[in-house]
Amino acid sequence: IDVSGGPKLKQYGKHRESCLFANLPNYTLRGADASGGVFLRTDWQIQGYSLEQADVIEKHASSFPLNAFESILKQLQKLAPELHTVHFLRYLNSLYHDNYSAALENLHRYFDYSSGRYEIALLCLGMMHFHFGHPKQALEVLTEAVQVSQQVLFGGRWWVEGDRCFVRDGGGGGAVVRSSSELLNNNTQSDDNCLAYTLTAISNLLSEIGALNATGILRSSYSPFSSIGTSLSVQQQLFILLTRSLKRAESLKLKRLVASNHLAIAKFDLTHVQRPLLSFGPKASMKLRTLPPNVCKELRLCSHLITEFGTESSIMTTEGALSTSWLKNLKKPRGSLVLSQENVSGSDTFYFCAQQSSIPGSVQQLLGSSYLVRATSWEMYGSATLARINALAFATCYADTSSSADLALAYAKLIQHLALSKGYKEAFAGLKIAEEKFLSVSKSRIQLVKLQLLHQRAFHRGHLKLAQRLCDELGTLASLATGVDMELKTEASIRHARTLLAANQFSQAALVAHSLFCMCYKFNLQVENATVLLLFAEIHKRSGNAVLGIPYALASLSFCQSFNLDLLKASATLTLAELWLSLGSSHAKRALYLLHGAFPMIFGHGGLELRARANIAEAKCYLSDPSFSVLEDSEVVLEPLRQASEELEVLESLDFRSQKPSFQLYMLDFCKDL
Amino acid sequence: METDEAQRVLPFQLQFDKPLASHIKLAEWNPEKDLLAMVTEDSKILLHRFNWQRLWTVSPGRCITSLCWRPDGKAIAVGLEDGTTSLHDVENGKLFRSTKSHAAAVVCLSWEHDGQQTELVEEDLFTSNDPFFGFLAAPGLAFTADCHIISVYGFLNKTCKKNRNNFLNPEILSCGLKIQDGHGTVSTYEDRTSRFFPPPPRVPRMPGLVPGDTGFMDDGEDSFRELSDSSNRRFNILCSGDKDGIICFSIFGIFPIGKVDIHKFAVCTDNSLTYGLRNASISKVAFSKDLCHLIVMCSGELVENRVLEPSDRKMCRHDLLGSHCLTVNTSIFCTRKNELHQVALQASSIEDLIEVIRTSQSIMCKQWSDAMHAFHEKFDSLSTLIIDHGMDTTPQEEFLILLGGARTSPPVHQFLVSSLGEAGLKRVAKLVSAAGKEIQLIVLDHLQPAAEMIGFRMGELRGLSKWRSRFQGIGLDEKLIDNATEKSGMLLIQVERFMKVLSSAVQQFSNFFNWLLKSVKLLMSEPSDQLLPFSSELVVVFLKFLYDQDPIRELLEFSEADQCIAAGIVKEAFEMPFTTISKKIYCKNLLPLFPIASSAKSRSPIDPASISYYKEASLVGPTIQMCQQIDYVAFRIPDDSFSKFANCIGIVRGFMHQVDSLKKGYTTLEAVLLCVPDGYHCVDLSLYKESQIVLLLNETSTTSESSGNACMMIVQGNDLPFVSLARSTSLSCWKLHELKDSVVYLQMENEKVRGIPHTVVAPLAVSASRGVACVLAARKRALVYILEEDEDEISDAE
Repeated sequence: IDVSGGPKLKQYGKHRESCLFANLPNYTLRGADASGGVFLRTDWQIQGYSLEQADVIEKHASSFPLNAFESILKQLQKLAPELHTVHFLRYLNSLYHDNYSAALENLHRYFDYSSGRYEIALLCLGMMHFHFGHPKQALEVLTEAVQVSQQVLFGGRWWVEGDRCFVRDGGGGGAVVRSSSELLNNNTQSDDNCLAYTLTAISNLLSEIGALNATGILRSSYSPFSSIGTSLSVQQQLFILLTRSLKRAESLKLKRLVASNHLAIAKFDLTHVQRPLLSFGPKASMKLRTLPPNVCKELRLCSHLITEFGTESSIMTTEGALSTSWLKNLKKPRGSLVLSQENVSGSDTFYFCAQQSSIPGSVQQLLGSSYLVRATSWEMYGSATLARINALAFATCYADTSSSADLALAYAKLIQHLALSKGYKEAFAGLKIAEEKFLSVSKSRIQLVKLQLLHQRAFHRGHLKLAQRLCDELGTLASLATGVDMELKTEASIRHARTLLAANQFSQAALVAHSLFCMCYKFNLQVENATVLLLFAEIHKRSGNAVLGIPYALASLSFCQSFNLDLLKASATLTLAELWLSLGSSHAKRALYLLHGAFPMIFGHGGLELRARANIAEAKCYLSDPSFSVLEDSEVVLEPLRQASEELEVLESLDFRSQKPSFQLYMLDFCKDL
Repeated sequence: METDEAQRVLPFQLQFDKPLASHIKLAEWNPEKDLLAMVTEDSKILLHRFNWQRLWTVSPGRCITSLCWRPDGKAIAVGLEDGTTSLHDVENGKLFRSTKSHAAAVVCLSWEHDGQQTELVEEDLFTSNDPFFGFLAAPGLAFTADCHIISVYGFLNKTCKKNRNNFLNPEILSCGLKIQDGHGTVSTYEDRTSRFFPPPPRVPRMPGLVPGDTGFMDDGEDSFRELSDSSNRRFNILCSGDKDGIICFSIFGIFPIGKVDIHKFAVCTDNSLTYGLRNASISKVAFSKDLCHLIVMCSGELVENRVLEPSDRKMCRHDLLGSHCLTVNTSIFCTRKNELHQVALQASSIEDLIEVIRTSQSIMCKQWSDAMHAFHEKFDSLSTLIIDHGMDTTPQEEFLILLGGARTSPPVHQFLVSSLGEAGLKRVAKLVSAAGKEIQLIVLDHLQPAAEMIGFRMGELRGLSKWRSRFQGIGLDEKLIDNATEKSGMLLIQVERFMKVLSSAVQQFSNFFNWLLKSVKLLMSEPSDQLLPFSSELVVVFLKFLYDQDPIRELLEFSEADQCIAAGIVKEAFEMPFTTISKKIYCKNLLPLFPIASSAKSRSPIDPASISYYKEASLVGPTIQMCQQIDYVAFRIPDDSFSKFANCIGIVRGFMHQVDSLKKGYTTLEAVLLCVPDGYHCVDLSLYKESQIVLLLNETSTTSESSGNACMMIVQGNDLPFVSLARSTSLSCWKLHELKDSVVYLQMENEKVRGIPHTVVAPLAVSASRGVACVLAARKRALVYILEEDEDEISDAE
């Protein structure tokens, strides 16, 4: 039997079903021939197969063919009722197809039949609730899991058989935390480990659902938070939880968990200003800033997993895990590396590289996630180069092992970068490739990025009605429940307000911005606050109230400084300069000073629009400076204008058509006066 | 009155008179602290405290030809005979940077920092850092806004003041900030790297080496880092001149930014004749305080360039062979210092990081090939055994058979049990895994952080390169930088990919060894349950891909080659500013000083000379007082130069501004000749502060048995009767001839003189900032005099 004919799930579309269908007889055969002993499959082969399938389900989530796989599983179950893992696979399958009742049923079944441990079952259940967006239930169940594992520990009962739940962490900006369970025949697990995993799960849950939601839940729940103390803020509690679970994982030498905790801490550090727990007296540090080097350090520590996974015996590749994949890979054409241009002639080195690496999937996924977090962090901190490179590194090195959602996120980042730096034409070309790749992934990042691009383009072209419609559509992608999909909701609102602003509907724009500000404030979204404040400044600028706009721009700057949002800071500085400039020509010098301070950031990391705006602002500053003479130094004005027009042209902006001629007229007037 | 008399006799207080171990050829005082750096005849660098306690001695092993201090006094630059310039840490003398930018001996150095401190501090727009401060209440907002405005105004005022100090030109003041860059303003620039990254990775240490062997990379790591960092604080330029007439410039003494050949300089005179130098050798370079000018003293032939009639070239009438003085316009360093500073900051850090990558790479290569060598040494015997047993299988096949559980073939049995053995297997396993671990750590701790930081810094440079109006002028090319950015990004991806492959391979090796160990145990019928688990699939993969192939090495070599290309591209991008700036450095003026007899040229111990700049107030017009820099060039004229006068010292001032000043009409080129009193001859001279000149004179009539006598004399420079030299249209004559009638004869009685009971030798080390002088006696003694105190008393007396 040709094993390599196994499920090639990377090919979607019409081949999918037939492939699986072709696959199906294999197993029928196996069953049929089992008695004959001709095609006997060993237990570990089945084990390996189920492991692989579990990975595949997690990877492709909802795009995984539900029914076809379900029927295989049913058949398997019939033939080998002693294989409990099948229940688990069925659980996973229904979980990722958002079938709540089936998932619950299969989970129960699995733990009933397999005599698995109660606390692990609770952990799984908790993660399931989390997946379905029931944070409250999730937290309750997880809390119970903590209690049970503690009791078990103190009771001195050590379980030898075991299954394990492992919390995997989705990648960058607020991706969902997915729970994934690996069924391994490990026999060295203790409840300590379970406790550590549960704690990590809780801290992930908390950081994911946001502080506000957590408050209510935490208050109502009992342990383990009662010990932390109620005087601390939710963020502080979360921070303590994170460090505790890191310590626990470290002491238990659970390397993956350690890495996952480092990743969680990095994400926490990204957006949180760390205040000292006790800060009184003259010596208390008052430096309220996020600490990017810490983020960097945590991410690097997370990467250390790649050298350490070998020592955690439980991650040892199980027999059978590679049974299909590596054989399949032997026949793969050489050098099938994604996105790597320099594919040299197929020497064996590259063959080896292309061949599935023996690093376990969960390890690779964590490592990949760290790259996505890096990319996100650089988007925030303002390094376009590193944001892009890290996304590219992810797409190059971890495309095989990461979940399709994560991969889509990386693609989305790359496409957005294209749009910002190369214009829409290239971005849409990139989008097309991505759409083909993620054909079956509906409602995904790709859909989102498409809407974003369409909106941006419509916005720049001045098709405001269309922009508005697209913006509304974007909003509908977000869940209706409060406190979920915050990122998407804020983005939709910001786009909405900007569109209104472009249509000169100032009061409506201000209204939207106001409600957005309230929401950000309520959910403690400090980073988004900076954007909204800048939006207010823009609204005032456009409506001609520069004096009112300046405080908002300054407030936004202050936020940016605290959170190290350098690019946003540069654009706030640009707005501030524009505001000063509109106050009169006597402020031209100050505006120019501000502008020049922001130039390296804007030119290095800003998008086309921002760059064009900065260039135009610079020219305006010179022109309105009374001590400046265009005749003597026309190049000083012409050069930025030329640059701006280049940039706007790439952007296909309407602004370009409206602004450029007006400037030329302006300059002509100026020259005539002289 | 008696005390006055005593002071007259002994104007400078002798601090001490100490013996020296060897002859000294160079000596320089630290500009900031009372430290004296000296170079011995056998090219050892010594650093002494003011109390003559020796701090350290370093021997670079090559001939040192020049020495100077970094302006902040924290590093010493030495020029070597082979054209290398090295920087040493003042704390311990450790070498922390060495660059070979010259082909001939570096005979003179000048290191000057920007007179106005460039502010590279983080731009603090707010006095308060509280992010919530700004929007809590409306009054708070207004307040924040005010704070901000005030801070901006404060900054502008500060800048204006600084400019006034340096230029004091009413025109400049009226046009506000324009002086900074032609039409822009001053903007602060922050190097964001330290805000976002932990300290940069360093060159990994070669494992197995004793710390001392690694040279400069051992225990002084922190001071090294501090040194490299602090060097990036204030804009400074190190200028080095060599024997062949090449002058090199480097920012921070690290980042090369310009190179000029004085032979290529052409000086035009009013009658449109151009002159150039031939066979010139530089003897002294000195930057003005604002970095706008460089005065160069050199010896060579001054010839008239007749471009139009090449046939006439031989006919050049006046080849002036001798010592000349040039003013080189380096105003690009002054006007573009902000831009240069920023670029140098990023670029020099990137080069450091590239070095980290290069070294890591070579260490990794070595580690891995050593491990693989050991592995193959052991396992190659299996194939011989197989052949010896007359079988035609491969070792891989044999291992596969073993894995499959079939009966062990005799060669495999023999190999595992006797030739490899359990101990041998364990040793190889340990070796390979140790090497793998080592390499992994190098990647994680050095390679990856370095690649990441290069990516970040290149991104920053890219931002600068896109600011065309500012940075195109200094040669930061957008396309080249883009290209380099792309390459450096690819580096990061390559490193990640390599890491994955490496880890996979390391895991498979250890899995293979685990399995083999178990097999050995089984063969020897020993208990094997305590062993580590293994995966048989991975064994198969190992046998297929790793047993007789070495993808790691191939990948290492491949990426090494690739990194070379990347480094090349980065280098190319950085070379553009270098060539652009070099083109903007040109010779402004030239003055022939004195002739050298052609026979004397080969003799060439450099004639004592000293160049310094002083701020002098001069009254221009009825109301405006101008304060401007004036350059003084003092030099001893060799006795065989001019027949009319011997034993003379020449002082030229106002040379730097000669051309400008003619237009503006205030300073002119002036000169004076001083004749050393009879019975003495000048050994060395040095310009001291406030245009004073310190002369070191030896008695000529030394009787052989006595140790001889000498004296040190201070002459007030600006009191001397300078004679202005007419700016003539031709450079074809020695201008100092004009002074033959106005030689000033120095009298021992009229000057401040201190007798020295030794015959003295050059060099004389005088520190203007510390007010001390170190005189070296021929009989290996060092005498330190305090010039300062005397100074105060004189001013009191006045």
